[in-house]
Amino acid sequence: MTFYFGDILPYLPILLKALWVSIYVSVAAFVAGSIIGAPLALAKAGPSRLLRTVSSTYIEVMRNTPLLVQLYLIYFGLGQVGLNFNPLWSALIGMTLNNSAYTAEIFRGGFAAVPAGLREAGSALGMSSVQTFRYVVLKPGLRAALPALTNQFIILFLYSSAASIISLNELTSALEDLNSETLRTLEVFTYGACLYYATSVLIAAGSRVTEKVAFRW
Amino acid sequence: MFAEFGVANLRPLLEGAVLTLYLVAMSGFFGTIIGLVFGMARVAPFAPVRWVAATYVNFIRGQPVLIILLFLYYAIPLMVPSATFARGPTAIIGLSVYAGAYIAEIVRGAIESVPRGQGEAASALGMGYLLRYRYVVLPQAMKVAVPPSIGFLISLVKASSLVSVINYVELTKAGAIVSNLNQEPLVTFLVVAALYFALSYPIALFGRWYERRLV
Repeated sequence: MTFYFGDILPYLPILLKALWVSIYVSVAAFVAGSIIGAPLALAKAGPSRLLRTVSSTYIEVMRNTPLLVQLYLIYFGLGQVGLNFNPLWSALIGMTLNNSAYTAEIFRGGFAAVPAGLREAGSALGMSSVQTFRYVVLKPGLRAALPALTNQFIILFLYSSAASIISLNELTSALEDLNSETLRTLEVFTYGACLYYATSVLIAAGSRVTEKVAFRW
Repeated sequence: MFAEFGVANLRPLLEGAVLTLYLVAMSGFFGTIIGLVFGMARVAPFAPVRWVAATYVNFIRGQPVLIILLFLYYAIPLMVPSATFARGPTAIIGLSVYAGAYIAEIVRGAIESVPRGQGEAASALGMGYLLRYRYVVLPQAMKVAVPPSIGFLISLVKASSLVSVINYVELTKAGAIVSNLNQEPLVTFLVVAALYFALSYPIALFGRWYERRLV
């Protein structure tokens, strides 16, 4: 069996462009999902019973159904009631909602890991609960959550490939197009596998740098 | 909206759910075997064995399930001339390869959580590598490995939805076909989501119950 890896090389710019779509969809969904996830985590750990029930129901439903089905619901299902989103927006909305449930659980776990003594020390210094959160609990909580957040981001990035099924032109869909154009199946998917692997290694490395730079004290 | 969604639509979805369950059971079983072997290989005394296992685990953990499935679907018939585009076996092999890598990491973590002295005591009693693992290390490691494995099983249920891209008619693909026929994607995929929830949530509850019992 002979391989022709050189044949795919001219198409590399197309693949890199598609990889860029995968990356920015994942980053946007991760940031937006974290912004939604934080209040969800607060609601789940908070005193209001109603908010606790609402947020944990949302989290359980999101975490126990596949992303692909959520994307189908947004792309095809909502179209039926007049809400039409293009593939990019469907992917962004679906991945954001999906990710918010996971980040909510991660934030809750991270802040639960901060020793209660720190909170008590904050209030002993006369800080309000908001000040205690901002100046005492926030940083150790985020640091405790960072490894799980990194993991979640890598998983979200890898699952962005599911958006190819609702015809978003990201890396997986570019690979399938290239496969049917060149018929160099093994070579095309080897390139794809290496691009996905390299990106996830870079994300993990970036997280280690962040831990060293941003969480030094 | 839900009233018209009768038995005619529900039946193929239920059949799809059964096939999803079958896929998860098969790939969970083979994934566990792969995971046990590679998890033990990750902490093997012979370094090259560790390298091979680490390469497999790290590379697969950096791949989308979809790429694994598409690669196998297109590549197996190219590499094995007598093979055809078999959906079922491809789906099971793909999901097993994916599950194996994650379970191997769980197994490695669990083995490393067993205090070193346990293995040393076993060697002091004259036990060889296999006896030591069979009677001393693995029984203790298994207890630690169960809760994260249950968590992974939920991921596997959801990952199995991607098998629809190679046209294996499990729950998600059944939903896509049904919604094409009845032109009711909203209700159809809500039912599909509810069925996934019904498969996955009991596993989550069992996991939580097990963890509470362990403490």
